[in-house]
Amino acid sequence: MSGLVVDPSKCTACRACELACSFTHEGAFAPWLSRIRVVRIVDRGVNVPIVCVHCAWPSCVDACPTGAAHIDRELAEVRIDEDECTGCGECVNACPFGAIELNAEKGIAFVCDLCGEDPACVTNCIHGALTFGRAETVAQRKRRATAESYALGSQGA
Amino acid sequence: MRDVASQRILKVDLTSNRTSVEDVPSTELAEFLGGRGVAAKLLYELVSPGIDPLGPENALIFSPGTLSGTSAPSSGRTSVTCKGPATGLYLKVSGGGHLGPELKYAGYDYLVIQGAASRPVYLWIDDDEVSIRDASHLWGKTIRETDRLVKAEVGDQDIETAVIGQAGEGQVLFANIMLSVYNSASRGGVGAVMGSKRLKAIAVRGRGGLAVAHPETYYQLTVQLRKALAEDPSSQGLYRFGTVGGVLREQEEGALTSCNFSRMGLDGVERIDGQYLVDAGYLTGRESCFGCSTACHRFVRSFSPTYGDVEAVGPELETAMALGANCTIADTEVLIKANELCNDYGMDTISTGHVISWAMECYERGVLNQERCDGLDLRFGNGAAQLELIRRIALREGLLGDLLAYGTKHAAEEVGGDSWKWAMQVKGLEQAVTDTRVAKGYALSFAINPRGPDHLMTELIAELGYSERARGVVEKITGSKEYADPSMIEKRAELVRWHEDCYAATDALGFCAFTSTSAYAITPANMAELMGHAVGFELSEEQLMLAGRRIVTLERCFNVREGARRKDDTLPWRAMQEPVPSGPKKGMLTDQTSLDTMLDEYYSLHGWNRETAIPKRETLVALGLADLCSDMPLD
Repeated sequence: MSGLVVDPSKCTACRACELACSFTHEGAFAPWLSRIRVVRIVDRGVNVPIVCVHCAWPSCVDACPTGAAHIDRELAEVRIDEDECTGCGECVNACPFGAIELNAEKGIAFVCDLCGEDPACVTNCIHGALTFGRAETVAQRKRRATAESYALGSQGA
Repeated sequence: MRDVASQRILKVDLTSNRTSVEDVPSTELAEFLGGRGVAAKLLYELVSPGIDPLGPENALIFSPGTLSGTSAPSSGRTSVTCKGPATGLYLKVSGGGHLGPELKYAGYDYLVIQGAASRPVYLWIDDDEVSIRDASHLWGKTIRETDRLVKAEVGDQDIETAVIGQAGEGQVLFANIMLSVYNSASRGGVGAVMGSKRLKAIAVRGRGGLAVAHPETYYQLTVQLRKALAEDPSSQGLYRFGTVGGVLREQEEGALTSCNFSRMGLDGVERIDGQYLVDAGYLTGRESCFGCSTACHRFVRSFSPTYGDVEAVGPELETAMALGANCTIADTEVLIKANELCNDYGMDTISTGHVISWAMECYERGVLNQERCDGLDLRFGNGAAQLELIRRIALREGLLGDLLAYGTKHAAEEVGGDSWKWAMQVKGLEQAVTDTRVAKGYALSFAINPRGPDHLMTELIAELGYSERARGVVEKITGSKEYADPSMIEKRAELVRWHEDCYAATDALGFCAFTSTSAYAITPANMAELMGHAVGFELSEEQLMLAGRRIVTLERCFNVREGARRKDDTLPWRAMQEPVPSGPKKGMLTDQTSLDTMLDEYYSLHGWNRETAIPKRETLVALGLADLCSDMPLD
């Protein structure tokens, strides 16, 4: 089990993650179809990447009427079974983070799948706002990232 | 998903309230590369010679690069092209932020604004739905207020905007357009052109995507280039300390001018250097333009009991040199405040700095007295007076504020006497702060720049030989690394022409000049390869650079048609008459004889007439421009 850790204090909003994600999953450059989105609070200089955190008890899975949104037990990650998804949007309503979206064209939900344990977003994140690692370090880095978010705006040298 | 090779133009006529969409012929993409290149052709065709730049006949063209919105690193820049009101000549500026890619996702590669509205309006581009909306309630608002109000009105905080401030509304001749709130598309008064059309803002939401011809190859190349850029020392320096991190280096090398270019160096200048912003805790964040991992943009906070609290971006190197060093103000908090005011009112910081430093010199020399300055004590170094004057210029308040709103050329004509000698302008544009006396290639590139004397059509960092890569570029162009020496006049024409071609291609594809003509980490060969995989036709490095030259030549033709000739390719009087007064570069000068030698070589190399600087007929034929430019005077 591995995890993606987001540290907003290091994010410069280059959005290379959005481009890498949409390309990897959709074969095109389309931020609206990226599983990770950088929210910019422009006039405060604050940038926060939002992506599925693969909750242990995911609201999207609870809300899904068909079972399309489910937990992959082996990886402990949220997955969408595209064949089962009806595009009803209940998962979008349920997710507290806005991390699951509907693809308007295909009429199905999409969410981060960690690219088979080699996330394209992390590969393209130059300043370390996104990292990916083994489980024993994930909680530790998440604590650090949470603490850093309180210190947003003090990136230091 | 739209193919990047299928380019579309959105035309908006504000006089008739009509909008239309046209396709760009694919042959034009090969010939002009898109972006700045196709914009140059559009402007040449749409704008007849002799029209008033601030009249409805002018066109204002926004063009992100052909690769903008894709994963190509640092490729999200947007060119804005029009006939410039400060010079009456060709004007192309470039801005970063996120606007250009958003426009591409909305389905448009070019936005052409023509005509003029009868009352203030803003343009709302919501994918396929384009509407011209009333902006009476936004007129008179700052950039940030306008952005907030427009976002609230369309009900979407994630849209991108291009906005003018009060300076653009009042047609200050160095008003700019701010993209994505904090990214300036500056120089030459593009904001005044937008103001003359009564267009307060452009708001864009794009939910589409872009597809390239050879996806996997293209994407992998962009991943490699992103890593290469991240490993480049100059990119790393830009991330740590921003462009403004270059202030101290200028001082150490004896190339930092102060007191309106009349002196060298400034005590305490480290307080307006990028490292100080970090060390003293002003820097709170580093910001990227779309797709760029260099993140040279600064976000700063300043809590000043004297000048008020500021939370904003910047300052950049040129800002620190023009508003700081040349006004002899080495005060961090004044500079941060001055930069914020310029960004909020929408004014170019280089020209704003210059008109103020020029007025300060006039004041110190007794050419302007305190009464003519509306009571301001305009001594060099008076930060509070500078801040007040910025406000007055933006709002055209008082005699002096209104006078300076026309720029130093016009102001010197009004004030008279010898004041024109210390007006650091050519063609009506205030010079960027590089000292052309100590860098001959820069001198040539400033003189021949179609929009006026600055570094943003031909950034010539290679001649300074700062890095092994830069020296390698000089060797590639001239045959020897020994020419990486800014005191030489030999081979400057070759260096300038290569950088012009490269810069034009850089703009056309949407890249930031820091990638290709500063870090030199993205080469013309890289650009050609990426472009080829994006659009699906073979493009060699030579073809890319030739297309760059086609763009440069067409821009020259625009100016020739407006009457510009060799005599206009010059430098400010002071830069050619007064040698460097002190320091390590003492005595250096680029005089008329040196400039003439370089100009002769430059025109010959281009195939332009040396006496008139008009491109020869055979040159136009060779570049495929003869038909397009058939209305141009013969050499």
